[in-house]
Amino acid sequence: MLSKNCSYRRSMKVIAGAALAASSICAASAATTLNETGSSLVYPLFNLWVPAYTQMHQDLRINTASTGSGTGIAQSTQGIVQMGASDAYLSGAQMKKHPQMLNIPVAISSQMITYNVPSANDEHLKLSGPVLAAIYNGKIRYWNNPTIESMNQGVKLPHKRIVPIHRADGSGDTFLFTQFLHKSAANTWKTGYGTTVSWPNVQGGIGATGNSGMVTALGNNPYSIAYIGVSYKDQIKKAGLGEAKLKNKSGHYVLPNKQTVPAAAAKMVPKTPKSERISLIFAPGKQSYPIINYEYVLVQAKQSDEQTADSLKKFLTWAVSEDGGNSMQYLNQVHFMPLPKKARKLTETQIGKIHS
Amino acid sequence: MSAAVIRTVNQRSRAARSFKRTAFSVLLRGFSLILPITLVGLFVFLIWGSWPVLQFNGLGFLVSNDWNLGSQYGTPTTVGGHMVLPGASYGVLFLIFGTVASSVLALLFAVPVGVMAAMFVAEIIPEGIRDMVAAIVELLAAVPSVVFGLWGYVVVIPVFSHYVYPVMANVLGFIPGFGQPVGAGYGLMTAGIVLALMVVPIITANVREAISAVSRGDVEAGFALGATRFEVTRKIILPQTHRAIIGVTILGLGRALGETMAVLMVCGNALNIPGNIYSPVSTMAAFIVSQLDSALQDPTGMAVASLTEIGLILLIVGLVVNAAARLLLWQVRE
Amino acid sequence: MMSMDSASSNTGFAVPDGLRGRYRRRRVYSALGWLICGTSFVVLGLALLDILFSIAAGGFPALSTKLFTQPTQGVSGGLLNAIEGTLILTLGSVLISGPIGIGVGIYTSEKRDHFFARVVRFMSDVLVGVPSIVLGLFGYITMVVGLGWHFSALAGAITLSVMVTPYIARTTELALIALPGSLRESAYALGASEASVVFRVLLPSCTGRVLTGLLLAMALSMGETAPLIYTVGWSNYTWDGHLTHEPLGYLTYVIWSFINEPFQSAHELAFAAALLITAFALAITLSSRLIFRYLDKR
Repeated sequence: MLSKNCSYRRSMKVIAGAALAASSICAASAATTLNETGSSLVYPLFNLWVPAYTQMHQDLRINTASTGSGTGIAQSTQGIVQMGASDAYLSGAQMKKHPQMLNIPVAISSQMITYNVPSANDEHLKLSGPVLAAIYNGKIRYWNNPTIESMNQGVKLPHKRIVPIHRADGSGDTFLFTQFLHKSAANTWKTGYGTTVSWPNVQGGIGATGNSGMVTALGNNPYSIAYIGVSYKDQIKKAGLGEAKLKNKSGHYVLPNKQTVPAAAAKMVPKTPKSERISLIFAPGKQSYPIINYEYVLVQAKQSDEQTADSLKKFLTWAVSEDGGNSMQYLNQVHFMPLPKKARKLTETQIGKIHS
Repeated sequence: MSAAVIRTVNQRSRAARSFKRTAFSVLLRGFSLILPITLVGLFVFLIWGSWPVLQFNGLGFLVSNDWNLGSQYGTPTTVGGHMVLPGASYGVLFLIFGTVASSVLALLFAVPVGVMAAMFVAEIIPEGIRDMVAAIVELLAAVPSVVFGLWGYVVVIPVFSHYVYPVMANVLGFIPGFGQPVGAGYGLMTAGIVLALMVVPIITANVREAISAVSRGDVEAGFALGATRFEVTRKIILPQTHRAIIGVTILGLGRALGETMAVLMVCGNALNIPGNIYSPVSTMAAFIVSQLDSALQDPTGMAVASLTEIGLILLIVGLVVNAAARLLLWQVRE
Repeated sequence: MMSMDSASSNTGFAVPDGLRGRYRRRRVYSALGWLICGTSFVVLGLALLDILFSIAAGGFPALSTKLFTQPTQGVSGGLLNAIEGTLILTLGSVLISGPIGIGVGIYTSEKRDHFFARVVRFMSDVLVGVPSIVLGLFGYITMVVGLGWHFSALAGAITLSVMVTPYIARTTELALIALPGSLRESAYALGASEASVVFRVLLPSCTGRVLTGLLLAMALSMGETAPLIYTVGWSNYTWDGHLTHEPLGYLTYVIWSFINEPFQSAHELAFAAALLITAFALAITLSSRLIFRYLDKR
């Protein structure tokens, strides 16, 4: 009995020892792991970057997850992930609470205003901030409203109820869209801006989840209107839906494309402060498209160890470099724009602040 | 071996045995405490997590209908001793409505269909293959929630919003809440249908069991009086299973109230009370997932605390529903 | 036939016309009733078949050896990491909840008349009703942030075990109660201690039923999503052996997240993951049913 007990104990010791040894071997051979979570707009881009980059750096593992900007903010500030992706920079209150956070732009994105008016989907209808605010407020209810008609002379608009579609989940797109309404129609848009706002109750209005959900809802509902991240441009085209020209600050109607987005960026980038926390919405200039933004990666300046800090710095430097992650080979696929020179400089300085 | 040695060995083994005995009872007592500690811990955690909002909102949380996280880029202000974002208010009446409405709708579909399917399987299908046939319905219980959501998203929403809801709106349009517009398919009705499929296997399995427990004497007496098989099932067997049906309905209600992923993927996540039966809604459990992301951005922490309070309410509702089911079952036994 | 019919209706001892009509009406009503019952059954069966069919149709194009040999790369590649993660989480949660659940089951069946045992049973029923996302939130704040484990296999497995322990406890309790009382009595009569009665007599004679409980718990924890989003995170890589500080991939995440991506490859992976997880869950449930039936026959 006694000896049996002994052998039992011994075997337990052996097993425990083996387990310890195994785990220490694992720890020794483990590669550096970087975790990214957050914005669903940046996620497709990260998924293009990561396989290409880790191909060159076999000892590095980068996990990406599409959870939403809020999660990106919360988990990067709490140090649970190294990189939090967000469509929006941290607010003043958040910076006060987490002063060690860096807001690092990695690309410039834009947002489309899309609609489904079967007779006018090829027309690029002209719309403006105040009109959009009135539609989402329920003040403008029909497509043939005099204000819309006067903007779109020569286009025959039907007497059909407008179905405004908004994001129902927390979303960076909602943040950009409501900030545009807030800036361009300050007198009529009283709902404020944020990733979730309490939308005015408009009869027939629809909430959809995710950009995919927005595209589906737009396609399923004739006479609807929606705001959708530019990475979904191909889906909108394929579904035969309309993309609106937006009235910019100087009164011109523009589509988001390779001229208008850089034009807007050119006006706003020189105003970018060192911390790079700035809204690019509603830029001045004839050519400027009004809804563009920096896509941020939120990083803590102080990382847990040298190896992590080093890998993080190298990866971010590659991501923003012209012949690395910011080359059109990646950005074209999601319709993003590379960082302009001045912004890249600021970004590189910020990346340099990462330490262990 | 001397007698002394034998005695000590005996004593030792007796000691060992009594040690074992106490160890077993201590172990058993330990196990008995695990679940209560977990539940009480969860309860305390939820109250602790939502404490600031419990004070800030008071009862307004339950009866007001205004969910607004406030201006995320504003400077936090102090209201009633609590730091909140400007314009923030937390009222979840629409969630309580959405949760109750979708669950009730689900049970309205699931209970009759489930009971009738159970009658069919128990009385018409020959005994040899009965278990196999019953498995077809009861296996629905094994399908993961997120797969139900996926199916709702790719099958139910397009098919029902194109073909079924427009017809329903035309035929039943005279009933308030059933008319146009039918919307995109995300909404109360779709959530009810998907939830119904998720609770139906529980109902069918339990009712089938209850039917097989009905005394065969009563059944034969029914046939002797010249009743048809359907009449016997409907008028003799079914009344004896009423209690079981009510009990399992409450169990189904508990399941439907707390269901998260499937509902999240088809409900449309509205922030207000739906205009009609097809309009988007939100339920408490789904809302926690869909709003947690935005809430985490709130530097004052009040938004996350409000979601925690929703969790607390769900826990209390679960407590009440289970207590009700239990009371009923006790009555059945007596 | 005609003539016979009319003849019988003219004879004295035939059923009166009114009653005959009523009987016919009753037969028609019964047939209609069964038709409705049958239809409800068929509708449910078709729903299950349609679920299986649509995920199979969507997932089939993605089925290849690549799916089982390669980890996910962005939103394409295989599902090796997710399959492995799901297995680790499932086994881990059953390893934790199994002994505890069986222990609780022994307690509630052995002391079934004690007041406290009733309390435990009630609480375990309430725990079953707690929405899984609440457990996820609990796990996130206590383990991921509070204990500093970050996203990890351990945090996920523990959260899942909180969820499935009540099920295991319940099946164990029912299995033990179902044993004939004479078994227990004769064991005690031989002078066996409570512990040996439970471990040497009672448990061995209902191993199968306890096992079905464990299998069901596995099927349940394998299909969960909500509690894992904020406790396990997501990883594109296969597990490196760390219990904490290392996120893990799992199949249900792929379904819920990839279906919202704008790429065809992402949708295919989502369906393939749905196909795999449903096949696993159905296989486990079916085998537990077979075990149960086999035991019943014995």
